[in-house]
Amino acid sequence: MISNLKVLIILIILTIISALVAFNSFIMNYISEIIIVLAVLKFYGVVFYFMELRKAHSFWKLSILLFIFLFGIITINIL
Amino acid sequence: MSNNYKNFYYPPGGILMWIIIFLELITFGMAIIAMIYYSKSEPALFHQSRLMLNTIYGTINTLFLITSGYFMAESVHHFKVGNIQKSKWLLQLTMLGGLLFLGLKSIEYYEKLEGGLTISFNTFFSFYWLLTLFHVIHVIVGMVILGVLYYNLKKKAQNINNEDFEASAAFWHMCDLIWLLLFPVIYLIF
Repeated sequence: MISNLKVLIILIILTIISALVAFNSFIMNYISEIIIVLAVLKFYGVVFYFMELRKAHSFWKLSILLFIFLFGIITINIL
Repeated sequence: MSNNYKNFYYPPGGILMWIIIFLELITFGMAIIAMIYYSKSEPALFHQSRLMLNTIYGTINTLFLITSGYFMAESVHHFKVGNIQKSKWLLQLTMLGGLLFLGLKSIEYYEKLEGGLTISFNTFFSFYWLLTLFHVIHVIVGMVILGVLYYNLKKKAQNINNEDFEASAAFWHMCDLIWLLLFPVIYLIF
């Protein structure tokens, strides 16, 4: 099982990558999509590890996954 | 006391807190999608406006909230295993993270107001102020909840049960989740 400390380190790295990607122009076409995907991954880390939703009933797990999936898809499609 | 999280009615934090969390996430999610939708009609304005924000502030604030969320999760863990002293200490660190977030946000707001970038400046800043201020209100409410929790933990820890502690923590994590959606959209993508 991944410890909270490992999750924190991953979240910090993903946050820094997000900020760095926003300043990089060589992948200009996909910057927004990459940033949204990184945000979705961070959201997953907080909700399933810090909030311990991985231990909950499947309904709650699927509901939050559905929310973040829809958010990501709609956002990327509008961008 | 062990929690039966697999029961539909008892997710970590309680079913009522999770209903609130979903309502908040849907509300903020729709507002963020509306912001992106409006950006399509004024892409240059949104890009120029985004460049007026300090991305470093946004990134540091994200790190404050994420780290605060980690301390909160650890505080809950230590409370459950009966290590009240460590739980209290971690709760203090959690609140420190919240205070640092609010402090940096205040500096950012001050700079924007000094520069005349108010809510009526343009469409981007209307969304910026509405979304971030609404989030700040949640953080302040979260700080009050954590403050009361800390006070009770200090005075009468035996009166606090796992569900109360987890519900307070879930509210704090919700502030974190909302910010994780706001940060990339407001500070990075336009």
